Amino acid sequence: MKNTKKLLSQSVIAGLTALVLPLAVQAKSDNAQNMHQLYEDNCASCHGSDHGGYLAPALNADTLKGRSPTALRTVIMTGSFDTLMPPFYGRLTDDQIRGLVSHLQKTPTLDNPAWTIDDMKSSLKVYVKDESTLPDKPTYEISSMDDVIGVAARGKYGRGDGSKAVFIDSTTHKQIGEVPTGTAAHIIDYNPANPRWAYVKTDTAEIFKVDLYSMKAVRSIKTGFNGPGMGVSRDGKYIMAGSFVPHNAVILDADTLEPLKTFELEGVDPDGKMVTSDSGMVIGTPYDDIFAIALENAGQVWVVDLKKDQDFPVTKITDVGRHLHDAFLTHNGRKLMIASYDDSIVAAIDLKDRKVIKKLEAGCVPHVGGGSAVKVDGRTLGFGTNFGDCDKTVVSVWDLDTMEVVKQIPVSGGTESPAAHANAPYVAVDIISKDRRARTVQLIDKKTLEVAKTLDVGGHAYFPEYSADGKFLYVSAGYSGDEVVVYDSNSLKKVASVSMESPAGIFSHGRVKYMTRGLSPDEMEGAK
Amino acid sequence: MRIFALSTVLIAGLAVAQSANAASIYAGHAIAAAVCSQCHGITTPSAGAPFPPLAGRDAEYLKSALKQYRDKTRVSDIMNNIAGSLSDNDIDNVVAYYARLKP
Repeated sequence: MKNTKKLLSQSVIAGLTALVLPLAVQAKSDNAQNMHQLYEDNCASCHGSDHGGYLAPALNADTLKGRSPTALRTVIMTGSFDTLMPPFYGRLTDDQIRGLVSHLQKTPTLDNPAWTIDDMKSSLKVYVKDESTLPDKPTYEISSMDDVIGVAARGKYGRGDGSKAVFIDSTTHKQIGEVPTGTAAHIIDYNPANPRWAYVKTDTAEIFKVDLYSMKAVRSIKTGFNGPGMGVSRDGKYIMAGSFVPHNAVILDADTLEPLKTFELEGVDPDGKMVTSDSGMVIGTPYDDIFAIALENAGQVWVVDLKKDQDFPVTKITDVGRHLHDAFLTHNGRKLMIASYDDSIVAAIDLKDRKVIKKLEAGCVPHVGGGSAVKVDGRTLGFGTNFGDCDKTVVSVWDLDTMEVVKQIPVSGGTESPAAHANAPYVAVDIISKDRRARTVQLIDKKTLEVAKTLDVGGHAYFPEYSADGKFLYVSAGYSGDEVVVYDSNSLKKVASVSMESPAGIFSHGRVKYMTRGLSPDEMEGAK
Repeated sequence: MRIFALSTVLIAGLAVAQSANAASIYAGHAIAAAVCSQCHGITTPSAGAPFPPLAGRDAEYLKSALKQYRDKTRVSDIMNNIAGSLSDNDIDNVVAYYARLKP
């Protein structure tokens, strides 16, 4: 994973070196500057502006030590099969590729570049000045906005014309609109209070406010350099976003996208060390006017009260786990289940009492990817995926009322995201192990808690999601697949395919209704 | 008995002829996914890619181009290597797959 320690001493040395550099070497560093720009423009959205890695491995003097420059040049030219790494042959010249390899093998992990509230403010772009000019209902035929399904299309290069948020009517499986995002779309969230607004966050931490009625971006703001964390408050008034680079989070006005307050993410980790931290999941809950945000490396969850007049006070829950990541809600949104990579647990947090209820055993490297919860025979069962590659590849099932482990279901590989729906018989999990298994999705029978079927979707199949009515299962056939494949939820027959470049996350508008995938909308009643 | 033996030979001969001639678009799809799609896409190249689209191209042209890349009578750093890994049969199959795709 990402090395998040700030290499302070190295940056001090770099600074001193810059001061005493003779002129001849200064000329050389012009070239370094060019190479750095080339890296920023082509590589950084996946490999990290700090060279510390993000979706893709860290590329710096340490991680590339001893690697053959010829082999590295080949990887850049041809890309890497079974990963998101595209071929740069023809996009970069051979000199540029050679230059990059040599630059990367010399560059240490950089200090986190700063991105302050002022930087954010000046990055705010307004595409539609007067929102009253927008249509007051959808400009396309659709029976309910719940039927909108959004797909984060990465584009082969993680940027450019292929990168967009694509919206589909999940009853007809026809595309109803698309919004170009410049760099790869990563997360799509919907406003719980007004069905017309969606928020799309990209790999490079821009957030677009999208009008689903006209399928247009109306505003955007850059909240950092990368990091997937984004949540919307239950009243639809605030957005909170968190970054890996730099280590901060921000609350935005959901209407104007203006930043209201930033938070420096740092704290004492479970081993007693003061660390600065990546932002993990950020989540709003139907239970209260709060956001919960995970500090990955500090192992803390912060609960932020949405009281603007009190400057958004924070309650810190410490010692939650080692390397926290993503989470899902249960019990009307009062309980939060959060994955902890390094100690292979999922911690249950009570957002009312603001403390850890219990730490539950998971598989290796739990990655709940939005999670799932289903009601079966009077019990509420939570499903958690695990993306580690170990001998024991399982999907965890917990009883969310008693907070006990019910079963660890054996599956054929590492998994990243479970999809469920109250009306669908199976919980779908994506197998991500890097061989032919990556083409598949496995379906777990809700009642027997056994794998009932394996679907060969093609491409790198991931991020399953049910349509809001539960009748259809959508799966991204990403990487080389370039399509979203739609199955009938009961017969599991393929019914449609929607072409797009490198589709990844799929987000049903129905999520705002059922809070966590698999629960029925009734589950939300008590919360309001 | 003789008739039976003869017809067996005939049928076997037909089967061989068929597998040699009828290129399989399914096998071609698998090769496209494993070999070509990284640059040319499984249906179409990336909007930002400098690589030519293959869908709906003339089968004979694709076949001769791949064979030229393979014997290096047509020179390209990347394509000489990629085509070098393909058998005649692979070429027939993958060409059948791309040629039948709607551009």
